[in-house]
Amino acid sequence: MRRLVAACLPGIVFALAALLILLPEGWPQAGTGDPLRIGVLAPLSGPFASGGSAFLQAVTLAAEQANSEGGVLGRRVELLVADTQGRVDIARSEAMRLVSREKAFALVGAYLSEETVGVIEVASAGKAVVIVPVAATAEITDHVRREYDRYRYVFRIGYSIPQWAEMMADFLGRQGYTRYAFVGAGIRWNRELSRELGKALARRQVALVYEAFYSSRNPAFESVAVAVAAAAPEVLVLGDPGGNAAEFVKRVREGGATFPILSVGGTLGDARIAATLPLSAPLYVQAAAWKGASPAATRYAEAFERRYGYAPVGYSDTLPYDAAMILFQAIRAAGRTDSDAVVKTLEAGAFPGIAGTYRFDSSHQAEWGTRELRGNVIRWEPGGARIVYPGSKKR
Amino acid sequence: MLPFAQVLLDGLFTGSTYALIAAGLALILGVVKVVNLSHGAFFSLGAYIAYALSTKGVSNPAVAVLLACVIAFAFGVFLGKSFINPVRSHPFSVAVGTLGFAILFEQAAQMLWGPHPVSIGAGPPWAVVDGVVVRRWGAISLIASTVILLAIALFLHSRFGLPVKLIAEEEEIAESVGMDVEKIRYLTFGFASAAAAAAGVLLAPATSITPTMGRVPLILSLIVVIASGMENIAAIFLLAVGLGLLSNVSAYLFSPQWSYVSLLSVICLLLLLRPEGLSATMPGRDY
Repeated sequence: MRRLVAACLPGIVFALAALLILLPEGWPQAGTGDPLRIGVLAPLSGPFASGGSAFLQAVTLAAEQANSEGGVLGRRVELLVADTQGRVDIARSEAMRLVSREKAFALVGAYLSEETVGVIEVASAGKAVVIVPVAATAEITDHVRREYDRYRYVFRIGYSIPQWAEMMADFLGRQGYTRYAFVGAGIRWNRELSRELGKALARRQVALVYEAFYSSRNPAFESVAVAVAAAAPEVLVLGDPGGNAAEFVKRVREGGATFPILSVGGTLGDARIAATLPLSAPLYVQAAAWKGASPAATRYAEAFERRYGYAPVGYSDTLPYDAAMILFQAIRAAGRTDSDAVVKTLEAGAFPGIAGTYRFDSSHQAEWGTRELRGNVIRWEPGGARIVYPGSKKR
Repeated sequence: MLPFAQVLLDGLFTGSTYALIAAGLALILGVVKVVNLSHGAFFSLGAYIAYALSTKGVSNPAVAVLLACVIAFAFGVFLGKSFINPVRSHPFSVAVGTLGFAILFEQAAQMLWGPHPVSIGAGPPWAVVDGVVVRRWGAISLIASTVILLAIALFLHSRFGLPVKLIAEEEEIAESVGMDVEKIRYLTFGFASAAAAAAGVLLAPATSITPTMGRVPLILSLIVVIASGMENIAAIFLLAVGLGLLSNVSAYLFSPQWSYVSLLSVICLLLLLRPEGLSATMPGRDY
């Protein structure tokens, strides 16, 4: 019996090996060998955990999809996750750990502008490619423009503040508004956004009639709601991607104001939140991409919803997903995991994502606002969201 | 619409919100004599219970208040008995321990309900009188804070409140006459936790619910309690309403970012002039 088993063993091993080689035809698998290590920096605890966890979910989805298609250059994608807690010092030290100790080839992150500025300093010193998905401050791309040799590894997928302002201004201008108000959280990028939006709307003869920034510690929403209603704008731009945005909308509508509200995105893109808000007047949300805008966006939204049980908000999940996917595309196109080769590929190429086709300018900023990449504005209605931009007519 | 009348009414409602949360905190500071940094966590717990019930189709706030009070009371008694009482003579340990509990709660809430904000429909305003909107949840917090603070004041002045009052004023005498001081302390802690959870339920529809939502009310209510002097229920209510009015008026007249600055400036000035708090200027004390 033992002799029989010994005789058959090589045949069994051969048959199993052949099976393993042949089977992947229908079951794409990530390659074996050293994994491709990608660091993910996001606030997974603390006040920004909401955006950070959606960020991680989207990057995880992208990595799973890449692995199911055979990985990147035959290597399985391994995510090294770091919780920045929304703090600059932790983001910096975690970036240092990921690059120097964990040997991450590239980083996706961080989330907040302040964190990201700290991360790119550390990562650039270690020559790790950094793909910035959502942080919008000009400081990031200014570094690339001023000190190209040092910061050439940094690319921003998400829209810059002037681009963001221009997209929203284009929508508001097409709607024919002439008076607007801006209310938002009193944080640095929001003030920059208000300033840029003011310039973009002034070119379209849309005047600012009220502007206020509230403190998250004591927002005094009721007074802001009263003051903004007294200013009688035709539309209110709400610059707050966090949970406070929902509270503010409740206050405004409770006070009886019927002007439309355009949110910069984030929490108000969440269908579960929108379902609890009064929709007696239009509630618009700006998003990088939305289900139905393109086949890729629909596929992504459905995959996300299947995987996590809720629909993506079109911003803090969508942009990190595209960030990871574009990184994988660039590594494949470069043909090797060499930072400089990947940088050259990103600089020269065009990369399809779910929001459109990404190309980078000389400061490594994705060119938003073009026909290939222009984002969406949706309007919440009792049955769900409807895309109203691009392609919307006058109100 | 009369903007300034609206701002004043909203200020009254905002102040009553501070008072509602401060009520339980004042009891803990006055009777148990510890700084409870987990008070905001009980507020969040109440809000999440209201949300969880609303997702099951239960939208009656009375049911949510009852359930939240029972759960928070049980948690509060457990925390008071197992942690606060043994370490209450070490103020720093109490502060660190209760802060640790608050962070634990935030993490647990994040695991149970996710880190994303959740929300409950707020419904229409209660009434519109001469163009001034009476906000539903503002009015509810005004009524609830008045009822809760009145109930505490009446309890403390009744025969049943005597042991609590005695422990607050003369702990050694209370022990010497055979009172179960430890028990009264942890029951007080449980009651105060239930009051915070009730506030969370009542204010949940007006806010967006997040694991960290208890942090801001904790700071504001702590400010109110310390500046009011803890010993006088009326002082707590008056100061809370005064600060609510100040916060809203300064946000309206200047900028919302000035509301917090003006509120803290007035508190600093008050404590400088009256280090023992506002109640020192008022006749009598509740405990």
